[in-house]
Amino acid sequence: MPYKQLKNFVLIIGCLGLCSCIAKVDRLQGSLLNGSQKDPALSANGEKLALIVDQNGRPTVQLRDLRNGKILPLRYLRRHQPHSSPSLSWNGRYIAVIAQRGNRRLAIVEDRLTGRIHQLVVPGERIPIRLSLAPDGSKLALQVAEQGQWKIQLFDLTHKIELDQPSGVLRTTVSD
Amino acid sequence: MRSVIFIFLSLGLSSCFRGQMRPLHALNDSLFQAASSYREPSLGKRWLVTLTNRQGKEKIELIDLRNRRKIALPGINRPDSQPISVSVSANGDRLAFVRQRADQTELLIYRRNFGTLQKLEISPRGIPRRVSLDASGKVLAVQVSRQGRWDVDVIRLTGS
Repeated sequence: MPYKQLKNFVLIIGCLGLCSCIAKVDRLQGSLLNGSQKDPALSANGEKLALIVDQNGRPTVQLRDLRNGKILPLRYLRRHQPHSSPSLSWNGRYIAVIAQRGNRRLAIVEDRLTGRIHQLVVPGERIPIRLSLAPDGSKLALQVAEQGQWKIQLFDLTHKIELDQPSGVLRTTVSD
Repeated sequence: MRSVIFIFLSLGLSSCFRGQMRPLHALNDSLFQAASSYREPSLGKRWLVTLTNRQGKEKIELIDLRNRRKIALPGINRPDSQPISVSVSANGDRLAFVRQRADQTELLIYRRNFGTLQKLEISPRGIPRRVSLDASGKVLAVQVSRQGRWDVDVIRLTGS
């Protein structure tokens, strides 16, 4: 390949590389007013965002619709703070979070369609630290602290919940 | 009367068991070694990504849950960097992660199909801490430290 053609080729490849780096950044609306915002978790469809905000000094999970910036109400997860490590299913039907009940930390999954909740108290001396919900809600990965080490355990939720599929339509969510 | 009590007890017990999330014992036993430490789990459709610490060295590991195999991630783990947070797209093709390298904290996207790493700039300038990726791997939510407070940025990758 002649030098000039090679130079053009390299230039085109360079331009393509630059194009692929373009990123549009949206800062969350109201971020300047609401104080600290932590632990973001996107729904798989990219339309909803769960995060932890300070509510009267208590870390509390908040769910936002990124299409219009609205805060979506949660039924059960208005209490049992402090919350940490939220996670969402595909359409945001399920929201999972680590919460407090009495003197125990536990994982809670709220079904926004039915208002039902599912709780996972980890047996023994293990303390739940972080979690992740599979996009369809079929599995939960839980990071626990056990004798000074971090471990991960996978749990099956298929017998407890209806899967939240990509094509799934939320017909009558409590928040919509 | 005794049989009525028995029925009530049975119903109560069955609802308790129905309420339990079942640990996937076989999968857990085969995936996780007792001598290693695992944190920051992120699940895709059939993928699990974690930060795994073996003998004091922490690295990003991707596991295919269907066949319980670790997937090679060439170029993602470096001896001079420490991963902080990681997230996987639904199909496992893209990983977003935050790493500490020298005195820099960086946000990166790894495309597994091409084996490429792309550094994402934080604007306005801030220090990334935690990242979450949507299913497509083209929308990221990032916890960022700016002037002593935590913000959340949503980054939409266009043209990629």
